[in-house]
Amino acid sequence: MATSSTETVLQTPLANNHEGLGAKMVPFAGWKMPLDYGSILGESKAVRATAGLFDVSHMARFLFKGPHAAAELDAALGGSILDQPVGKARYTMILQDDGGIMDDLITYRTDNDEIFMVVNAANRHRDWEILTSRLHQTECCDLTEDGGGILAIQGPDSHKILAELSGGGSDFCPAFLDLAEIPSPWGDLFIARTGYTGEHGYEIFVTAEQIVPVWEKLLELGAAPVGLGSRDVLRLEACLALYGHEIHEKITPLDAGLRFAIKGWKTREFIGGDALRAMGDPTIELAGFTAEKRVPREGYAIFCDGEPVGEICSGVYSATLDRPIATGYIKKGVDGAFTVDFRGKQLPVKRSAMPFVAHNSRG
Amino acid sequence: MRPEDRSYLDSHEWAKLDGDIVTIGITDFAVEQLGELVYLDLPDVGRTLDKGEAFGEVESVKAVSDVNSPVAGEVVETNNGLPDDLDALQNDSLNGGWLIKVKVTGADALDGLKNAAAYEEVVASES
Repeated sequence: MATSSTETVLQTPLANNHEGLGAKMVPFAGWKMPLDYGSILGESKAVRATAGLFDVSHMARFLFKGPHAAAELDAALGGSILDQPVGKARYTMILQDDGGIMDDLITYRTDNDEIFMVVNAANRHRDWEILTSRLHQTECCDLTEDGGGILAIQGPDSHKILAELSGGGSDFCPAFLDLAEIPSPWGDLFIARTGYTGEHGYEIFVTAEQIVPVWEKLLELGAAPVGLGSRDVLRLEACLALYGHEIHEKITPLDAGLRFAIKGWKTREFIGGDALRAMGDPTIELAGFTAEKRVPREGYAIFCDGEPVGEICSGVYSATLDRPIATGYIKKGVDGAFTVDFRGKQLPVKRSAMPFVAHNSRG
Repeated sequence: MRPEDRSYLDSHEWAKLDGDIVTIGITDFAVEQLGELVYLDLPDVGRTLDKGEAFGEVESVKAVSDVNSPVAGEVVETNNGLPDDLDALQNDSLNGGWLIKVKVTGADALDGLKNAAAYEEVVASES
């Protein structure tokens, strides 16, 4: 069992590049990461208008190998892995026995007997312990500190920029969640049409030799560097869940409206499945809100017609909508005049459809 | 170094005495730490403030923060247009982006505050 929780602050191979670009570096999940390169709002707009480049090398990379890998992961995770096609990515979760969410993640079926996985940096060591305890006949590797990393290029120009870098044709990843290997001057790049912004985009899994030149070339080709601050704005605009906010141990995939992440849950055998099937309908629902000027932040109480009905999960200032947006769990079905307690002041908020900004990831 | 014509609080407010009126604002360092500003709340004229009392809130894309009064006294003026146009606060918080003016009593109103050199050490320790 690996309990290598370390007090050392980790940094990605791009730390010098970030400092050179004037990034504000902050501690995040044990890593020193760029919060922004000067403007959270400007970086968010660049992603929606052209293309942005993120260093997300703090995210944990696991590899599972062997003839039993798919079957064991199918039982260990909330989503079905056995029917995941080779060459496709899939969003799913680790659940606990009671159906609560331990983490959300993406599996990449790289071969019949090989599944690559990316999990949240903050949950890396816990996920590793859970998964290695649930998998008995599968080879498990934690690749997070192998010197490589993950770059995400997101936005309408991301395909064009990546094709230019590759120079090897532009027919890669025709559909959302497709995996591919594309040529580059630094060897083949393993890419996936995935992301955390709602835009058309790719995540690039780079080796230690590739990460710096590929980062520099993508910037040179016109992608704007984007930090974690903007990443949070973009993902909330797109209403993509963030662990510790919309999802956590006390929330089930049913509460969170994420049934697609546990496909086949009514009939499949997996950890947490029995509990989910035994539960009644959720008594809470995730709601979207917009506000006038002030940002409804995590933990602020939500009221409906003066009655407390829930709490804010996440709030940011939306660059795209030029107004504050937030999510929060409320008692299912309540309707009326919504207000939020902003540090002692009750101010109106408006219930909004979700996502706040339409997805282009499949386009 | 920041202007030596005024005093500073560890929580990044400044106070400049002129007769019995103290002009109060937040430092450029505070603004830089907050990032892009989205909201400012100022007190009503006539409100009496204790030394150290939170009199307003400034909110950015990243965070919301109380603004504390470096002095005790009565609010006699606020920078009226500022909440609706935060540019002056974002870019010129030491001058045009001032927040409130407070009428103080006694010559010791600024006692206990830091001078520019001492405040510089606070900034250095938080940078």
